Amino acid sequence: MASMAAASTSLQARPRQMVTAVKCFCQGSRSNLSFTLRPLPTRLSVSCAAKPETVDKVCEVVKKQLSLKEGDQVTAATKFAELGADSLDTVEIVMGLEEAFDIEMEEDKAQAIETVEEAAELIEEILKAKA
Amino acid sequence: MAAPFTLRKIGVQPNSANLTEARRRVFDFFRAACRSIPTIMDIYNLQDVVAPSQLRFAISAQIRNNAHVTDPKVIDLLLFKGMEELTDIVDHAKQRHHIIGQYVVGEGLVQNTGSKDQGKSDFLKNFYTSNYF
Repeated sequence: MASMAAASTSLQARPRQMVTAVKCFCQGSRSNLSFTLRPLPTRLSVSCAAKPETVDKVCEVVKKQLSLKEGDQVTAATKFAELGADSLDTVEIVMGLEEAFDIEMEEDKAQAIETVEEAAELIEEILKAKA
Repeated sequence: MAAPFTLRKIGVQPNSANLTEARRRVFDFFRAACRSIPTIMDIYNLQDVVAPSQLRFAISAQIRNNAHVTDPKVIDLLLFKGMEELTDIVDHAKQRHHIIGQYVVGEGLVQNTGSKDQGKSDFLKNFYTSNYF
């Protein structure tokens, strides 16, 4: 019990990449429950459906495609436009992801992708449908 | 392995209604080209020479070269020429040194590298028209 509390506080201290993607209502509704004795570890309250490894791989491809330096932050909620990508760059990133994950994305869904997270979710959907 | 992509021989219809449709056609063309890259690398044995991402970059650089065009008809014509080039390459009508010279190594064909004169001096722009300006 004490170790759990310690683990959760250490999680709070280290900035996790997933924290930015966490929607506030998740933690808010949890705190209203009267029988919650300890704060939930932030790791579990992520609301996006994509696995972290997928998101990481997507970030890798994006960084390589846009030639970003190592220090630039690419998190799950980053829009491609913020990183300086125009629409052709977005299509190129989608093609890079198709190659990296060995999938084929449909055109209309691919056109709608704007953030790293949407890309990761779409990839997982397709992988699940393929398996 | 995803099903191999076959380049269907659909010519580009020369009647984009507006810029949005032309833009959509550009992206379709780009996707078709990128999906044919594995075939191309297979045909010309480029596995040791270049990575697919470099070829994608070369294709997008060519598209970006003409990114300033706003007339849908001109875009259609450029797409037609691009489609023609892609079909030639996929049909093995070109040879390895063409691909390497045009898309892998920096320079490309000499007549392609001259960009339309943008923002050069007015003197040069008026030079051919008359002496007095």
